[in-house]
Amino acid sequence: MRSITLFFILINLFVLGLSAQEEHTFDLSEIEKKSFQIGGYLEFRPVLFGLDGDSWFYKLKFYDLEEGKTIAEYNFNVLLDASYEKGIIKAKIRTNTDITKSFSGWSHNTTLFEALFSVKPSLSFHLDIGKKRMKWGKGYAWNPVAFIDRPKNPNEPELALEGYMVLSMDYIKSFQGRLKTITFTPFLLPVNEHINSTFGKPNQLNFGGKIYFLFYDTDIDLMFLSGGSVPARYGMDFSRNIAPNFEIHGEFAYIPDYSKKVIQEDSTAGEDQYASINYLMGIRFLTKTNTTFFFEYLKNGNGYISYEMENFYSLIDQAYQSYLLSGDDSQLKFLSDTTPQAYRTFAPMQDYLYLRISQKEPWNILYFIPSFTSIFNLSDKSFSLTPELLYSPITNLELRAKITILLGKGGSEFGEKQNDFRLEFRGRYYF
Amino acid sequence: MKKITIVLLILFLLSPVFAIDNNKLLKQVDRNLNPESFESYRKLINIEPNGREKEFVLFTVKKGKDKIAALFISPASEKGRSTLRLDENMWLFIPNIGKPVRITSLQSVVGGVFNNADILRLDYAEEYNVVEIEDLGEEYLLHLKAKTNSVAYDKLKMWADKKKSLPKKIECLTEASMLIKTIYFKQIKDFGGGIVRPSVIETDSPLHQGYKSVMIFAGIKHREFKDEVFTLPFLPNLESLR
Repeated sequence: MRSITLFFILINLFVLGLSAQEEHTFDLSEIEKKSFQIGGYLEFRPVLFGLDGDSWFYKLKFYDLEEGKTIAEYNFNVLLDASYEKGIIKAKIRTNTDITKSFSGWSHNTTLFEALFSVKPSLSFHLDIGKKRMKWGKGYAWNPVAFIDRPKNPNEPELALEGYMVLSMDYIKSFQGRLKTITFTPFLLPVNEHINSTFGKPNQLNFGGKIYFLFYDTDIDLMFLSGGSVPARYGMDFSRNIAPNFEIHGEFAYIPDYSKKVIQEDSTAGEDQYASINYLMGIRFLTKTNTTFFFEYLKNGNGYISYEMENFYSLIDQAYQSYLLSGDDSQLKFLSDTTPQAYRTFAPMQDYLYLRISQKEPWNILYFIPSFTSIFNLSDKSFSLTPELLYSPITNLELRAKITILLGKGGSEFGEKQNDFRLEFRGRYYF
Repeated sequence: MKKITIVLLILFLLSPVFAIDNNKLLKQVDRNLNPESFESYRKLINIEPNGREKEFVLFTVKKGKDKIAALFISPASEKGRSTLRLDENMWLFIPNIGKPVRITSLQSVVGGVFNNADILRLDYAEEYNVVEIEDLGEEYLLHLKAKTNSVAYDKLKMWADKKKSLPKKIECLTEASMLIKTIYFKQIKDFGGGIVRPSVIETDSPLHQGYKSVMIFAGIKHREFKDEVFTLPFLPNLESLR
């Protein structure tokens, strides 16, 4: 007890010592630019999953395991950013290493998120070659027009993601008047067995582009993608402040020959072709008390309709019943292997609402942001609720605690996920 | 009656002249604070009542009346973040998100008492009209009124040194004259190139009792930029201007 008291006395003396430093200084020598720079973060993220033993995804994944009602997972993560800049050239690399201890043991994975070589002969012209994220779209939770990016997790929209190998350029032109900026960004994206193999059909040279306008104080983008690896698609987005504290944004994507992978009654994957329309409308609103409201509606025309999801769940049911009766898990394994990834994405169905309310620094606690997020599936009325606390007690250290609770009736998206809840803590140190 | 009419007529004719002089004084204050186009290095320090401090270092570039951009150089958790302001439009670029998101002047990208309007400040004369000047002997007290309702503070009271035409203190007020914050300009320093101005700006607020934020300028110099620097696609490349 005495040692604890002594510890707090020392902390207070240290803090008082800091407060006594009335004179602050700043000298240019502190911020000398270096050609080579390295940074990133270290992260520790333990997660407790509350399993839903009655859900179909639980039965698909854990049918032969006795994991109890909860399982713990420990994640260690290192993100490294390094760059070298000299004159008009810049090279940049970003790697991500995950080490996980889960119910199935230890695993680790290192991924090259970005590796980019850039040439900037003028302020108006910029050429990139290598692996990068294009980051199209204005939506916070979802981006229907992000044609060449991996899908974001709407529960973690700010998470770093892996890019694709591209050759791209930016040409920027500024003007006086209502039209302030035009930027043209064409790109090439090759796909073969070694490069961008997860993007789509191999041995294709995909191409596309984006034109950005800042017109009448509105950000407007027009974009397209073609080339054969995935069906051609066309899109636009916009963002505008209609008041200083009120922003509206939207995205629209049209895919004339979209091919949806649908699981058939024999558990094999078939294809359904149609013209798909995807769009998103959103607002961001800041109150005088520093509360920010994000609200988005997503129409995901690429997604599944209710009976397609019900059909999928009934196939799991049949396979699971067969396993219970005979002990033969081949149907479950086959289903697990052949189920298209689209059934497991962050927005597998067609109509979603997203709401996030965050309060910056309540009760004068600096660098503390409590927030609340909910994702609502309008098709089956299931939803998730995520209260979150984010705090930075000292420079470069960020602590976050959050719990996600999934609610929905049987046969609904959030009702059939393998977890009832997910409790997570994250400590991240930037260097 | 005739005399009164003549006096009133003269006063009426002179009133716009006074208004022009008033705004001229404000423009002079702006020019003495910084050139119309410049680059600068600033350190922002948030100080809490318990003495805890957090520092941010920003590289800032400004062009003309309505273009300003800032890049976070440190701490590591903020490094690479950049902000852009074009007139009333403001964006924040976060490297991990990777695309600029619109922000408002009332928010604060650094927390503490300084908000985005303070950090990405345009010339006072661009956002405010002088409605009245009081002569207080060695200083003027300028009463400023926002030109539009999108400006962060509806009214300002600026105490300016008469000889140097530099602000000493500014009170930021709501439309109902409620005090939001007070900004103090301290430690006049010669930055070279004819720029002699306060090197330290402190602010406190009755809304955040005991909290204080300090902005220290280490370097400020005249520099011309192309318009293309102040565009969203260029935001991730601001570092190349250093």
